[in-house]
Amino acid sequence: MIVACLDIGSTWTKGATFRVDGETVSLLARAARPTTVVNLADGFFAVLGDIVEGDPLAQLHDGRLSLQYSSSAKGGLAVAAIGLVPEMTLEIGKIAAQSAGARLSQVFAYHLTEDDIAGLEASPPDILLFAGGTDGGNTNYVRANAEAIGRSSIDCEIVYAGNRSVAAEVGRLLAGKRLRIVDNLMPVFNEPNPDPARDAIRTIFLETIVKGKGLDRIMAATGAAPVPTPFAVLEYTRAIHAHVPEWDSFVLFDMGGATTDVYSVHQEMPDLGTVLRGLPEPEVKRTVEGDLGMRVSARTTVEAGEPEFGDAAEALRCYAERVVAQPEFLPLTPEDAALDTRLAAVCVGQACRRHVGRLATIYTPDGEMKIQTGRDLRQVARVIGSGGWLARAADFDPAPWFAQHAVDARGRLVLFPQHFSYYRDADYLFPLLANLARAFPAAAAQAGIRLLQD
Amino acid sequence: MSDITAVLGVIGSDCHAVGNKILDHALTAEGIKVVNLGVMVSQDEFINAAVETGAQAILVASIYGHGEIDCDGLRGRCLERGLDKVVLYVGGNLVIGKRDFAEVETLFRGMGYDRVFPPTVDLKEMANLLKQDVAARS
Repeated sequence: MIVACLDIGSTWTKGATFRVDGETVSLLARAARPTTVVNLADGFFAVLGDIVEGDPLAQLHDGRLSLQYSSSAKGGLAVAAIGLVPEMTLEIGKIAAQSAGARLSQVFAYHLTEDDIAGLEASPPDILLFAGGTDGGNTNYVRANAEAIGRSSIDCEIVYAGNRSVAAEVGRLLAGKRLRIVDNLMPVFNEPNPDPARDAIRTIFLETIVKGKGLDRIMAATGAAPVPTPFAVLEYTRAIHAHVPEWDSFVLFDMGGATTDVYSVHQEMPDLGTVLRGLPEPEVKRTVEGDLGMRVSARTTVEAGEPEFGDAAEALRCYAERVVAQPEFLPLTPEDAALDTRLAAVCVGQACRRHVGRLATIYTPDGEMKIQTGRDLRQVARVIGSGGWLARAADFDPAPWFAQHAVDARGRLVLFPQHFSYYRDADYLFPLLANLARAFPAAAAQAGIRLLQD
Repeated sequence: MSDITAVLGVIGSDCHAVGNKILDHALTAEGIKVVNLGVMVSQDEFINAAVETGAQAILVASIYGHGEIDCDGLRGRCLERGLDKVVLYVGGNLVIGKRDFAEVETLFRGMGYDRVFPPTVDLKEMANLLKQDVAARS
């Protein structure tokens, strides 16, 4: 079986053909071209022509070739999340959006203010994920927010995943808007249920969002539907966890010019004497940091790393100004390469710091107790770097940054991976293998791990 | 079934879990919907849970003697977070030493708790008081 896999990124459209023979995968051809922003289909078909011999569409139609593709072009999929309490329904909303492959454009807790509404009207997201309250729980905030959205001119898809007691009322208040009502993302207190909201986001992506971005032409010609790239990669991490022995837990960094994505697979097993607080953690989790990136987000990356730069701070600020203006910039001098490496350490380090949990030690009349919030990745033994920069950086190692930041300002332990082997997706094949995994999860998972460099 | 939802937990650094389970069972048997946060619960966690679940009452337990430190300020925090009608109960071994319960009750009433219970309270009686207090508040 020959499978063509393509990924339409914001800068590059990449593609590869793989031959799949049972559990064996071999790479036949690969190509990349600049993404054609005006119509994504132009770049897509050019790359497809590069990686397939003969007429790809004819081969697709007679079944000799199959196709899987993903897109994060034009800013990817933007979701604004509305929840009630930040640590609860808003947090689950963020998890649902990020695991659907979206980027969070705005987040809101409690009541939407007039300014919040004005902000949403001025720059509407692709999808508004609207939640709040357990089933039978709070209704005041949800009702007030529904009224505010109903009165506004916000024009986007809306997914309601809040308290079901007011779902019908929300439906009436938002009559005339493009609304979908799904199951509550926290029907019972402390029992997250992000999947229905996640599925709704993905369905909307397929049914409506692709149309505005030129992907509909690809769908019409090939008969195949795209997924958001981060969604494909999240499912790929799940496939590796399921199908590759010894890879039941790991962390994957995908660092780009604009964002840094962190994926982890891990089963929480707290020690005796450790009390878990906060929401239960999902087994597979993605977080994405829109302010951490090597080029477009270099300025905010420097801000995030500022306190530890010392004498180098000024040089890094100047460097950031240069690369923000030139997203395609590649360092040529050793000085620039060193600055690039410092930026990378901040992106990976800070993104991981936000992804992992904390452990606080407290002393009680019964002795020492530990309180854990978030996920504990200390025992995770494998970490992968992917994305253009990390794919090329043979000498990069995130361990020193983790070690230097192992304790936070409040004296809590930051639950970074502690003793791990670092691997590199040197050929930057993960987004393409993630597409292959949609059809052949086990084979693609094994191939991805085999192709990693130590 | 009453329509009362109550948030239950052991406050502060207190990890006594047994009484917490007994309270959960006893109140559930009385028809109260219990959102049990377990042990070592912070003031904000009580409030977060009450906001999301629309709970009418917060039931705070403290066994290890530091209740005076842990419980102070919860009423003010509830008001700040928009829970202006919530019924607040506190109970357990609230202070250290052999202080007169009337004195303890005055102390915790002063902090804004609607009712204060000694460890010997009859839980059925407490559930009935809770139903009355919630009805009076709404």
